[in-house]
Parts: sequence; C-alpha cells; structure tokens
Amino acid sequence: MKRNLFTMLLLCAAVLAGCSKNDEAVDSEYPVIDITGADAFPVQCSVLERGKTVTFKARFTDNVALGSYSLDIHHNFDHHTHSTEVNTCAESPNKTPVKPLVFIKDYTLPAGARDYTATATISIPADVDTGDYHFMIRLTDKEGWQTIKGLSIKIQ
Amino acid sequence: MQKRIVCSILLCCIAFLAKAQHSRIVGSIVSGSKPLAGVAVLLNHGQVLSVTDSLGGFYFNQLVKGRYVITIQAAGYEAYHNRVLVADTLIKLPVIALKSKINQLEEVTVVNSYATMRKRESTLLPDVVSQDYLLRNSGGSLMKSLEKLPGIKAIGIGSGNAKPLIRGLGFNQVVVVENGMKHEGQQWGADHGLEIDQYAAGRVEIVKGPAAIIHGSDAIAGVVDIQAPALPEPHTSGGAVALTGKSNNALWTVSANAFTRTQRWFVTGRVTATEYADYRVPADTVYIYSYAAALHKNRVRNTAGRELNLHVSTGWVGNNVQSVFNASRTYSRSGFFANAHGLEPRRVDAALHDASDRDIQLPSQEVVHYKLMNRTSFQFAGHRAEVQVGVQQNFRQEWNRYVNHGYMPAVYPAHMTIPSTLERQYDKTVTSLLLKDEWQWGNHTITVGGSGDYQRNSIDGWSFLIPAFTQWNAGAYLYDKWKLHPQWLVSAAVRYDYGQIRMKPYTDWFASEVVNNGDTMQQFLSRSQQALRSFSSVNWSAGISHTPGNWLFKMNVGSSFRMPIAKELGANGVNYHYFRYEKGNINLNAERSYQLDVAAGWNSSKASVTISPFLNYFPNYIFLNPTAAHDYYYGAGNQVFEYTQSRVMRYGAELQVRYDFLPHWSASLAAEYLYNRQLSGGKKGYTLPFTPPPSVLTGVTWRPAFRKGVSDTYFTLEWRVAAAQNRIVPPERTTPSYQLFDFSAGTRMLTKGQPIYVHLQVQNLFNTNYLNHTSFYRLIALPEAGRNIVLSLRVPLLWKAPAAGSN
Repeated sequence: MKRNLFTMLLLCAAVLAGCSKNDEAVDSEYPVIDITGADAFPVQCSVLERGKTVTFKARFTDNVALGSYSLDIHHNFDHHTHSTEVNTCAESPNKTPVKPLVFIKDYTLPAGARDYTATATISIPADVDTGDYHFMIRLTDKEGWQTIKGLSIKIQ
Repeated sequence: MQKRIVCSILLCCIAFLAKAQHSRIVGSIVSGSKPLAGVAVLLNHGQVLSVTDSLGGFYFNQLVKGRYVITIQAAGYEAYHNRVLVADTLIKLPVIALKSKINQLEEVTVVNSYATMRKRESTLLPDVVSQDYLLRNSGGSLMKSLEKLPGIKAIGIGSGNAKPLIRGLGFNQVVVVENGMKHEGQQWGADHGLEIDQYAAGRVEIVKGPAAIIHGSDAIAGVVDIQAPALPEPHTSGGAVALTGKSNNALWTVSANAFTRTQRWFVTGRVTATEYADYRVPADTVYIYSYAAALHKNRVRNTAGRELNLHVSTGWVGNNVQSVFNASRTYSRSGFFANAHGLEPRRVDAALHDASDRDIQLPSQEVVHYKLMNRTSFQFAGHRAEVQVGVQQNFRQEWNRYVNHGYMPAVYPAHMTIPSTLERQYDKTVTSLLLKDEWQWGNHTITVGGSGDYQRNSIDGWSFLIPAFTQWNAGAYLYDKWKLHPQWLVSAAVRYDYGQIRMKPYTDWFASEVVNNGDTMQQFLSRSQQALRSFSSVNWSAGISHTPGNWLFKMNVGSSFRMPIAKELGANGVNYHYFRYEKGNINLNAERSYQLDVAAGWNSSKASVTISPFLNYFPNYIFLNPTAAHDYYYGAGNQVFEYTQSRVMRYGAELQVRYDFLPHWSASLAAEYLYNRQLSGGKKGYTLPFTPPPSVLTGVTWRPAFRKGVSDTYFTLEWRVAAAQNRIVPPERTTPSYQLFDFSAGTRMLTKGQPIYVHLQVQNLFNTNYLNHTSFYRLIALPEAGRNIVLSLRVPLLWKAPAAGSN
C-alpha cells in the first residue's frame, strides 16, 4: 500500500517536473506593412491609370527578419470583398468583367532585412476593364508569420 | 531505455514463476437453459475478471487459498453475488442461473463492468463510455459528445461536424473504427466531420496511445472504437425512440430503432434524422483577418445543416458460429460560414443569407457514406477466429460560387462540363479484409491477425488541391497476452505492414501566363505528375500491468507508423478555408513514433484516482510548414505552406479523480496537460498546431433517491477552466484562458412498467464569449457557441419479452 502510494506520488512529481520546463524564446511577432508614409503608393482609394506605369512603395518592418511579399490586383466588379482598411471608397455599379486586369507577382526581400522600403513597378495595360479593383499586399517574415493588407483602388 | 524495460519485465516474470501451488475456480452461467456468453465475472469486486465463453463457462486460475466474493452483472439480468471458500486446488461451482429483469433495456451496468475489465485486461488504459453517456453528454456530433474525457478534444467546423483530437494529434493520426472496421472518410481536412451516427453507437472505447499493432498505419495517437449495441436477446422484439432538441441552433433529432430475434436469426434497423439552423455565438461582429463581418442576430451565417442516417443489421447466431451483416448510409449537408470561405474574407449577399437561418446556401458541403460489411466468427477447439470483409464509399462534394483566382478566366467558361458551383469533389471507395484468430495456450492469450485493403480515389470540381490516387495496404501481426498471475499481465506484439500509393497526373483546365526567356506564353500548368511510392514498417509493443487489490499500474512502450497521405505527398493548390497555398512533397518518409505510456490508479467503491502520463518521440513528424515564400502560379499569390518532416517531442498527462463524499453526492475532476516541441527543421523550438492548453474539468453530482417509479436521477454542475495557449506556431494566434459552466440533469421514469429516460443539459450556462484553440474557426477569431439548452428523451419499447419459463 505504502509503496504503491509512493510510486504514484513519484509519477505525479515526474509529470510536474516536466511541466515546469522553460522554453527558449521563439519569434511570435507579425511583420508590419506601413503605408502611412507620404510617398507610399497605392493607399486606400488610390486611382491607377490605364496605359501607364505605377510604382508600388511601402515600408516593411519585422522584429527578426523579413521574408518575402506578393502583390495581387484583381477586379471587384461584383463587390465580393471588403478591404482591410476602415474608410470605404465610393464604388461604381456592379458589372460583368470582359478583360479585367490580373496581376500577381511575388518578390524577394534582402536576406536578414528588418526594415525595408520596397518598390516595384507595375504597368497597367491600356485595354483592361476600368472600375473597382483590389490591391492585396501579402508580407511574410522569415518564420512564416504573414500580414495581409487589402486596399480598394480604381483603374481609370 | 528499451533494454531497461525489457529487463524489468523479465525480472518480474522470474519472480512470479517461482510462486506455485495455486487454486482454480471454474463455473458456468445460464439464463433458463441457455448458456450466457460474454458476461463479465468479477472476483472480489473486480480484482480479477473473467468473461464467459460461448458455453457460458468461466474460470479463475492461480488463486491463493482463502475467501472470495463472486459478482456478476449482465445487461437485462439481476446482479448476482456469492461467497466462495477456496480450500482445494479445484473448486467447481454449481451452474449459476441469472434472473432476467424484463423491460430493463439498460446497458449501463454491463458497460461499467466491461470498462473495469478492459482497464484490467490491457497494458494501455482505455476509456470506455456507454450509449447512455453519449445521450447524457450529447453534443453536435459524436466527438463533441466525448470532449469531457481528459486528453480528448474535438476539432470541429460549425455545429455539426467534428473529428477526434487525441492528446493534440488528429486527422490521419487517429484511427476511427466502426463495428471492427476502419472508417475511411476524407480524414485529411479539418472541415471534414466523421460520417458516423452517434445514436447508433452502443459503446465507444478510446485508446490514447499507439495502437498500430491491431490497426496498422495511422493509429499513432490512438483509436476511437465505436461498437454496435449488444445483440438482442433470443425471442425478443423491441425498439426505442430517442428525441433531442437544442436551443442554440434550433436542432431537432429523431432516432428510432427496432429489433427482433428468433433463437438464431435477428434483424435490427435504425433511422436517424437531424436538422439544425445557423448556430449562435455571443458576438455581433467577428473580425476575419481584421475584416469586420457583422452577424445577423448573433448567427454564424450559413452554418445550418441536415443529416439522414440509415442502418440495417442482420445475422445468424449459432453456438460456435456467428455471422453479422451491417449496411449503413449516412448523409449530411451543411453550410460553411459564408464570410470566411474563398480567397479572402467575403462580403456576402446578407439579404439572401439572412432571410432564413435554416436554409443552406453556398458555400456548402455534402457527404454521403455507404458501408456494407460482414463479420463472421467461429469458435472451435479453443480458437476464436474472425473474418471481416467490407466495402465503403465516401462521396464528398464542396459547393461554392465560381471565384477566379490566379490566371483562371474572370467568367466561368460555358464549355466546361463541371458545374460552375462544384468547387471540389472527392470519391473514395475502399474494400477491406480482416482476419484474426485468438486462442489460449497455457496462461497465454495469443492473437494472430492480418489485414488488407485497396482504395480508389477520384477527384472533380473546378479547383484543385490533391490528385486522384489508388492505394493498397497489407499487414500481419502476432500478439501475446501472458497472464503470469491474477494480478500480473505482460503483453508483447509485433506487426509488419506494406503499402503502396499511386498518384495520378493532373493538368489545369485554364492557361497561365508563363514568362520564358523574356517571352510571355500561355501554358496549361501540370499540378501533379504520375508517381508511385511504397512504404513498409515493422512495429512492436510491450507492456506490463499489475493490479494488486484496489491498485492499478501499467506501463506500455511501443512504436507506430503512418504512411504519408495523398495530400501530404501531392497537394498543390489553394486551401480556401485558410487562404493559403499548400504544397505536398512526394519524397516524404513514413512517419514513425515511439511512445511510453504509464498509468497508475486506485479504485474503491467510494473514490478513485487515475494518472496517466506519456512520453512520445517522432523522428520524422510530417508538418505543414508555413514558409516565407509566396507563389503566383499555383498559389495565386498566397503564402506557401510546404509539407516537411521534423523531429518532435511530446509529453503530457491526464488525471481523473472521483470521490463520493456523501451518500448521494459525488465530485469528479478531469485534468489534462500536453507539451509539444519541434526539435528540428524550419520551426525548431515551436510547438505543433492545434495543441490544446492545460485544462481542468470539475464536477459535482447529486443523485437523490426519490419515490418508486423514478430512478437514476442526477443533477450535475460542471466547471471547466482552460489556461491560455501562448505557445503557438504560425499561422496560429494565442488563445486567452476561459472558464465555462455546464449544468445537466436527468432521470428514468417508470409509468405502467414503461421506462422513459429524460436528460437535460445547459451548455455554456452563462453565454460566455470564448475562443477554443482547437476549433477550425479559431484562426478567424470566431467565438464558440453560446448558451445551448439540450433536451433528450429516450423511450425503450419491448414488444415481445423473453418467455418467463425460459428464464
């Protein structure tokens, strides 16, 4: 009886000892997309012109190291989604796409960078449909944490 | 480590072989003139157990001379107690005739004694629950009803679909067995529930530990074994009606069954129908990746569903041969939370969705699962052999409005033959064969068995995630349970498995823009190539069980393995639930696991304590690793998640305490702790996804004894405290701690000889807004269901009772 009780207490102690082990710190912070800078482009409700080249510009920061980013422009003619921004933009009426702009591209960032202002040139073809679009910025850090920013823009 | 365990087992053997000069009790049990098979016989209130064979016989070997108490509890019979004085080396008891309790169609007592027996006769500690337990704790699905057991969680989507998570592992790391055969659904997705009717389960047994020996690949974390209710008694006919209603999602369920049996033949049937509305959460707005979605009347938009399940079983019961056919069809259709499905959080047509909370709009899922099986067992010359064959089909469709992404055309082309709303379709057909023979050799119970299955998987729909494939597996095992002494049990087992998976090619139906040497070309991308992989594995297990008096000690060490599934080998597309691009790796190795399980317990009629710690190591855990990369060809610009393998260490424990502190009062406590850590790879130092936080479930039950006609009355108040989960791995979010109160009550009423069971539950008594770390919708911060009042009623009916003379 006493020996059994002792065995059981020993088991409990072993479990508790296991519980109290401390972890070495791992990165659990998300990277940050900052489009508040004066020259950041596009921002919520920006207008992109057809047949012209625009320059994307945003500041990316992370506590350890940035990973990569991707840009995605797709139509929102059916007003299917909402941007992540608080203020809304005036929307054109719903319509059926004929030749909407499809732009998807992923970009690398300098290895180990913690604070980087990214720029990318995007040419908008002259023959794409005008109207409401979404501009999605997806940013990861080295560990795979991802931050998404969705902007409502217009192509004219 | 392993050496030391083997040494200690050997030492124990020697010590107990040295003891000799034991006595033996033999006896048999009948009802009328018929022998009763499968009845548990307890010696000294469960210190030693024996189960009667087909001739009703039982025996206890190696007893020390002295006084013993024999107890027998069997479903439908009065309990039997008797004292036996063992003075000679062989005591032959007179035939024990059990008295039938007519109208008492209750399985509780037999399950309790079965559970006690299973806990003693195994070197791993199983949890066993009865149909009555399921009804008392009825959740939206079978796994939700089992969530009060420590170490068991349900990973669910919506209110009606959930699958098991045992000690933080789930999906294809847990095997679900129904009526002896592995249930083959689409186990890989968190949105896939189990196509199982919880009303048709007679008993559920859960093993938290490696069970690869009997079940082969996949049983790394454990097994949920769903067993059919006991066969009807000879010359009886009857049935039961169960009704359930739930307030939160306005659910109603009707489940009715009927049975009849002659001496040899029997037929049983069951129909279960369920319908439920969108469920409610204590929040009016949820934030899906910072996009605010307003909820109409607190309802999670488009999560209504319905189910219709049919079961038929028939068979022949002989003295030495028994053959049972089972056929079932389970059907379910339910909606996905409309705002959180697709490529981004969606703004939905609120007027359409909110017009009715009972309709199922897009996006939705529809699953139909057919099963046909036969299980035949033979008893001859001390052998118990079993042959089981089965065919099952799982047909799953996911419906959604066409959403172009990547280079898909903006408007769904008219020439496509796939319906524009068929997002994905999976069709799986599995044919299985199981063989088993068990016999007694001295104090050894030896089992040899083998299994083989062949499966075909085809796909359809306008989007692509995993390729079509075919697969076959074969395995054989040898298992020895050696009863050294009434209190000592040693087990050893070995198993060999071989499997082959053939992946089929897949090419996009739309062209993508590919830049080659500065030229932009239109190309149909290939997402899956023809591939063949073979896997083989030898697994072993050894355990020891010591059950002196009221105590129980167990230790088991074993290995398990899992063949990578088609998704891990060949995924190459966007997962619409999580907005991410998942990429398989055709070169993955079979996942291996080594686990040490220990259990210690003390049990008396007034109180019991059980603690069950474990230590688990994976040299190559298959992990879906979120990378820093994005992909625009296959992933439509989404973040790339790649299947990789890493070393993983896990440990934890469960604690269960029961104490009857006053004559009609009892208190219970169930606590669980789990620690996961990746020791190598890209996420070294991180935990594994879906790691449940430590939690404690405390309960107080009052079982008052009322006047005649009302029995088994209980009132229970339960309080769950779950700690915060701050150890996370991308893309998880930390989950704050929470407290939850549940109330339940029930009784059995007898009116004119007709029993009626009533159960009432109030889940989430205070309508607490909390997040569950293992919920599918945790990532989009959707709170769990609010207050839910559940009322269940069960009326067992006996049309034809066994003739009084024959009992």
